[in-house]
Amino acid sequence: MATDVLSAAPSPGPVPAPAHAPGAGPGPAAAAKPRRRIRNRYLRGLMTPRGIIGLALVGVLLGAGLAAPLLTSHDPNFQSADALVGPGSAGHLYGTDEIGRDLLSRLLYSIRTDLMVVLIAVPLGLLIGGALALVAVTHRVADVAVQRLFDLLLSFPSLILGLTVTAIAGFGAGSIVTVIVLIEIPSFGRMLRGAILVHRDREYAVAARIGGAGPLRLLTRHVLPNAADPVVVQVAVAMSVAVILEGAMSFIGIGIRPPDASLGGMLSASRPYLEDHPFYALGPLVVITALVVGLNLIAEALNRGARR
Amino acid sequence: MTGYLLRRLPSALGVLLLASFAIFFILRAVPGDPVATLAGSDPSPETVAAIRADLGLDRPVLAQYGTWLADVLRGDLGRSYVIGGEVSELLSQRIGKSVELTIGALVFSLAIGLVLGVLGVTVKNRAGQAVLSAINAISLIVPAYVSGFLLVFLFAITWPVLPPGGHVSVLSDPQIGFQYLLMPALVMALPPAAIVARYVKDGLLQALGEDYTRTAKSLGIPHRRILWRHALPNALPPVLTVLGMLVGTLLGSAVIIEAVFAWPGLGTLAEQAVTRRDYPVIQAVLLFMVAVFVIVQLLTDLAYALIDPRVRLR
Repeated sequence: MATDVLSAAPSPGPVPAPAHAPGAGPGPAAAAKPRRRIRNRYLRGLMTPRGIIGLALVGVLLGAGLAAPLLTSHDPNFQSADALVGPGSAGHLYGTDEIGRDLLSRLLYSIRTDLMVVLIAVPLGLLIGGALALVAVTHRVADVAVQRLFDLLLSFPSLILGLTVTAIAGFGAGSIVTVIVLIEIPSFGRMLRGAILVHRDREYAVAARIGGAGPLRLLTRHVLPNAADPVVVQVAVAMSVAVILEGAMSFIGIGIRPPDASLGGMLSASRPYLEDHPFYALGPLVVITALVVGLNLIAEALNRGARR
Repeated sequence: MTGYLLRRLPSALGVLLLASFAIFFILRAVPGDPVATLAGSDPSPETVAAIRADLGLDRPVLAQYGTWLADVLRGDLGRSYVIGGEVSELLSQRIGKSVELTIGALVFSLAIGLVLGVLGVTVKNRAGQAVLSAINAISLIVPAYVSGFLLVFLFAITWPVLPPGGHVSVLSDPQIGFQYLLMPALVMALPPAAIVARYVKDGLLQALGEDYTRTAKSLGIPHRRILWRHALPNALPPVLTVLGMLVGTLLGSAVIIEAVFAWPGLGTLAEQAVTRRDYPVIQAVLLFMVAVFVIVQLLTDLAYALIDPRVRLR
């Protein structure tokens, strides 16, 4: 069994094939083709075809959004005289919209806005959900209160929550972030609460406690690392949910408001021109689909990596 | 059965009351005054005070809530601030259309989910299974506005067989009405269908492993008959519960699907009301949606109690 440990350790060159040692590889095919094993299980999951495609889709769009000012010289809100020109004409790589704004810049800046909303909201939901889970496991009364709060948040369909929050807080990115956070709090919170309750009573946690570990050390060194797998997967899923919701809220006009560019807003504006200028709708459709599919592929790759 | 209903009813009514309370107060507590929208630009203080008194906004909030609740119980939902007209009339114009869409979507999701679920058990080869799981994943994750746009582009523009949007009642003209209903109901049905399929498949696999399946097999009953007559009925009760829970999801997705297909239902009304801060309409629509949600939940529990007598004792 020593070969197993050796081949799993990081080594500078290709590891020599464990010469037909029993139990060294899944089969003769694997033994014949030596491959360096990736130790981190998430990374191992991501370095599969599924994970690489997902990372590529999301990475390219993330890069394009971040580099928006470098990739286009057009102001996304500047109205030129050329309305609804097709791709490539009048110096507009991807054409213009109904009031002559450059579609490529609007698309790139939409990705920027979208990712900003998602990258703020999902970690915030994780933090608040996690904090509430910690509160819940401390005391029975707190547990009941927190669980009822989670139930309440879960009982709202997401877009109805979106309408309610917008009715209260007004339009804009702030409302979208709030809605996403409110939706993610119970999913992360329930997951972490359950995991903490399971893992803090496992033998190794009890042993650590007997060994004198305080609650903080117990939590950070023993419980949380073991509870991390489903949470890591859920982060990717939550991001795809957030992308869909940002698109939906902006699409029905309660999210990012015109003239600011957003994927949902562009899609909604393109609706009357679907017949004569289908290219207009194509951009936001492709971007949203690629983001959602990419994030779900990453989630699935992480999930498989963690389970192996 | 009546006893079970009597025990479940108070908690359902409690949730409704709590929700009406929350909806009324949260909307009152926020900045942004509907009077500002109504009074026009730069109104005199007298005009503002007159409008406030006219709408009853100068009275204490608790008194406003009491009046509103009493009115709601009498079926009077107030007058719309902005659109004008009775809120109950606005609602009743829309409810039928939303019910039509929701029922259409429920039927589609049940039908598609059943087919996919049964195929998930009967298809044995790898390629077929891969196709099925791809269909499931796609219908689960692709957002409604994306699938809606694709369907409109394919079946209303490229190959114009269906109307791109709008509404004709199925009751007044079944054939034309169905053409208008087909795409929005299908788009709405896709994510629930994937969930139904998973439950059907799991239920079937479990039922096919039971003793009565083995007995039926040993009696020489053909596999197809075992599947449809013995396994499927036993796999259905959990599906019923899931459908009940999915009604909430459908209410949410209605908002976006109505926008894509220009379907004049409750979702569009809610969106217009929120955009214009039309308090009475927002309250009424939200309260109605909560009520539907609570009633469906109650009905699901009752149906379950009918199927499974053990539930009644709890």
